[in-house]
Amino acid sequence: MRKAIGKILKIGTLVSTWGLIAMVLLQIICRFSWFETPSWTEEASRILFIYAISFASGLALKSSNYYVALDAFYNMFNPKFKAVLDKSIPVVIFILFAVFAFYAIRFVSLGMIEKSPSMGFNMGISFCSMFIIGATLCYYAWHKIVKAYKKKSA
Amino acid sequence: MIWILVIVFVVALVLRYPIAFALGLACLVYLIGAEIPLILMPMKMYSGIDVFVLLSIPGFIIAGNLMNQGGLTEKIISFCNHLMGHIRGGLSLVNIGASMLFAGISGTAISDTASMGSVMIPAMKKEGYDADFSCAVTAASSTVGPIIPPSVPMIIAATLSGLSVGKLFLAGAIPGLLLGVGLMLVAYFIARKKNYPKHPKSSFGQVARGFVDTFWSLLMTFIILFGIIGGIFTPTEASIVAVLYALVVGRLVYKKLNFKNVQVVILDSMKTSASLMILVGFANLFGYILITEHIPQTISNEILGFSSNKYVVLLLINLLLIAVGTFMETIAALLILFPILLKVAIAVDVDPIHFAVIAVLNLIIGLTTPPVGVCLFVASSIGKVSIGKVSKAGFPFLLVSLGVLILVTLIPEISLWLPNLFTD
Repeated sequence: MRKAIGKILKIGTLVSTWGLIAMVLLQIICRFSWFETPSWTEEASRILFIYAISFASGLALKSSNYYVALDAFYNMFNPKFKAVLDKSIPVVIFILFAVFAFYAIRFVSLGMIEKSPSMGFNMGISFCSMFIIGATLCYYAWHKIVKAYKKKSA
Repeated sequence: MIWILVIVFVVALVLRYPIAFALGLACLVYLIGAEIPLILMPMKMYSGIDVFVLLSIPGFIIAGNLMNQGGLTEKIISFCNHLMGHIRGGLSLVNIGASMLFAGISGTAISDTASMGSVMIPAMKKEGYDADFSCAVTAASSTVGPIIPPSVPMIIAATLSGLSVGKLFLAGAIPGLLLGVGLMLVAYFIARKKNYPKHPKSSFGQVARGFVDTFWSLLMTFIILFGIIGGIFTPTEASIVAVLYALVVGRLVYKKLNFKNVQVVILDSMKTSASLMILVGFANLFGYILITEHIPQTISNEILGFSSNKYVVLLLINLLLIAVGTFMETIAALLILFPILLKVAIAVDVDPIHFAVIAVLNLIIGLTTPPVGVCLFVASSIGKVSIGKVSKAGFPFLLVSLGVLILVTLIPEISLWLPNLFTD
């Protein structure tokens, strides 16, 4: 299950990124040729960018060291307090993104009645990227919680 | 209520929450306390990252990483070594020179310290340089990266203020070069005093071969810069052209790229970009809360109430930004403080482009300021030297950086000459 989710997110990130690169290249090619630049390319590239970010945000948490934190004070804490922090931080991140994902669903439903300006599709599809951010960060925070507690019991 | 936002944010930072999540957590607690609908969180996150110019950030990161996959770091170091290795303390000059060339590729100070440091610090130690000096040079030189174009902090400043990315890139070029040359002079004088080693002089052929090896990466910086300035590309288009260019060079010239490692590089670059964009999204919400609480006006009134003298105001802003830059990551600090302080700077007739350079320079100098400068930590952990020793060895470099900051603050032409020249 975990592997499948990771794979889906990786494929999602790669497809959206290549799509974004293709859209911007299309803009450039059209500008320097006889073709007129399609008006939807800018919107499409922005949406693909947001999707690429949403797919990659959870993967970044999974791999640790992508989300920068301040180590200076942490190094001064005693090992017991550090252990408490190591366990509690993923819990707080889980709660933060669980709330985020819940309200992202409402945000998506708000988007259902909107149409995108140039491509004319349902904005709910675009807003869905916010749910992906909330859900995937929540998912990988949960894995960090499980890992932290397994470490303790071991 | 605003105190809750600030306290939660600071406490979360101190407790080592990732900065992006500390911002998000502070906003969540504030919104609950102020009984504001929580749907604002995804809404502001979306509007924060739904900005066309931000698309250039993953583009530049992917292009830089693709170039690096072709062994660019080693090639740049080798070229600088042929060029400056024969001077006393040559490797320290190579370290700084390579950071200046690498600057156009990496765009962030911490990644520069890590990538350059992992190669240069062991090499310098092996040749008999003191470990603390090696770490200090690496940390100091990596601050040149974020100011020399293409610069990620400059793109963020442009997004926040609506300023031209091209003009901001140009504005950072001379201060970046000044900083680099200043650091080289200090390294040279220390090297002479400590009698650090030098290499035999390279032949013209070796220098020429080194140049050819790095030429393609240098050309990428020029394509980006002149493409934007010449009005040929938007910054986003320039970044994607850079990706295409890096793919072609990496495949046909360096012959190191294949289908598999390109996907790995893209995935890695997008994870970096995603962590930055989550930060941008939450900072957008954080900024919105500050505005609804009239914080920018309050801070502006407080500073201008203390003094309306341009130089006193700039001095206060410099002190604040260096202090913040010492413990906070450049982009996070820029996202939170730049829009607020820009208003104050404009009120005392400081050119916004000049101010953007001052702000970025302050924040990157903070990265090497003891006791908690992030680059000092990265360099000291690579060199396995205590942070205290690295801080002490880095003090002369810090003084030079502060000297450049004072020059850039007092003489706006250093930042504005190039953008004005090209605009005119």
